[in-house]
Amino acid sequence: MMLSSMLVLLVTNPSVILAEMIGASASALQLCIELCAVYAVWLGIIEMVEASGLGEKLAKLLRPLIRKIFKVDDQETQKIIALNLSANMLGLGNASTPTGIKAMQRLDDGSGKATFAMIMLVVVNATSIQLLPTTVIGLRSSAGSQSPADIILPTLIVTFCTTILGIFLVHAIDKIIKKLRHKS
Amino acid sequence: MSVFILPILFIALFVYCLFKRINTYDHFVKGAKGAIKLVVDIFPFIASILIAVALLRVSGLTDLLAQIMSPVFNLLGIPTELCELVLLRPFTGSGSYGILETIFTTYGADSYISRCACVIMGCSETIFYVATVYISQTKVKKLLYAIPVALFCSLIGTVLACLICKVM
Repeated sequence: MMLSSMLVLLVTNPSVILAEMIGASASALQLCIELCAVYAVWLGIIEMVEASGLGEKLAKLLRPLIRKIFKVDDQETQKIIALNLSANMLGLGNASTPTGIKAMQRLDDGSGKATFAMIMLVVVNATSIQLLPTTVIGLRSSAGSQSPADIILPTLIVTFCTTILGIFLVHAIDKIIKKLRHKS
Repeated sequence: MSVFILPILFIALFVYCLFKRINTYDHFVKGAKGAIKLVVDIFPFIASILIAVALLRVSGLTDLLAQIMSPVFNLLGIPTELCELVLLRPFTGSGSYGILETIFTTYGADSYISRCACVIMGCSETIFYVATVYISQTKVKKLLYAIPVALFCSLIGTVLACLICKVM
């Protein structure tokens, strides 16, 4: 992907390549500083949630669902996934990243191949059910919308459908792969 | 309404911690400490994906791709005006919010196009970004079928969004 864009630029406008790369890297650095601030707040909050035992309660609530969807039995991992999903549902994409990374590390079996649960976590995060698309509503009202919140219901319906579809597809593909392996 | 939800949750958490006799300050500091290490760990991955996206946009490849894909998208019921958003959404969060604002100013915040764009933003994620960052701290190099499935679901979500905004 990077190579093909560079090849095109070599013909059209070779002088911008380095400048663009450094510019993008600089904005990555800026993003990271912003993320660092966001993570500091959320990791602090998450630590409090865990220490107070609320994380455990949340996990207990979501445990049957997580066990069924992710096929994960380890309690600690279930708890982290529960926190990840809750942050996602609140529309806090950036807050869910630290827990997502942590969950991935726990799900990694060291084989270099993604496990079923890891794939599921990526797909569920990608299609995340958002109860409150806060950022979008904020942008929309500042753009002068008459009723900025009227996209909540359609968004809910669509994310609900895609999440169900994603979970279903990952399960189906996993089954097909296992079957093929049995045959060969 | 939604402005109050987070503050209320935070206050509830602090009260609960007080009730449970947990030192909120110590735990907050302990958690917040992890932020810098985490950001340092994921910076190279964020940088490389942003560089790739920047090159892709400045080279004009995304415009070209949008042009090629727009008949296909039209066939699926996705208006041409939304092609760039749909194509860039999986790669960049800030970039796609930028496009969203352009759509608002060009077509008006209450137009069909803008409402579609909002629902698309809500039901999709920066898939490549999330996948890269999430597995960056593990030994896994390939995510097998995770990305195709995620992209397919987003596409279905986009088609659904364009349909639903017509009736609602």
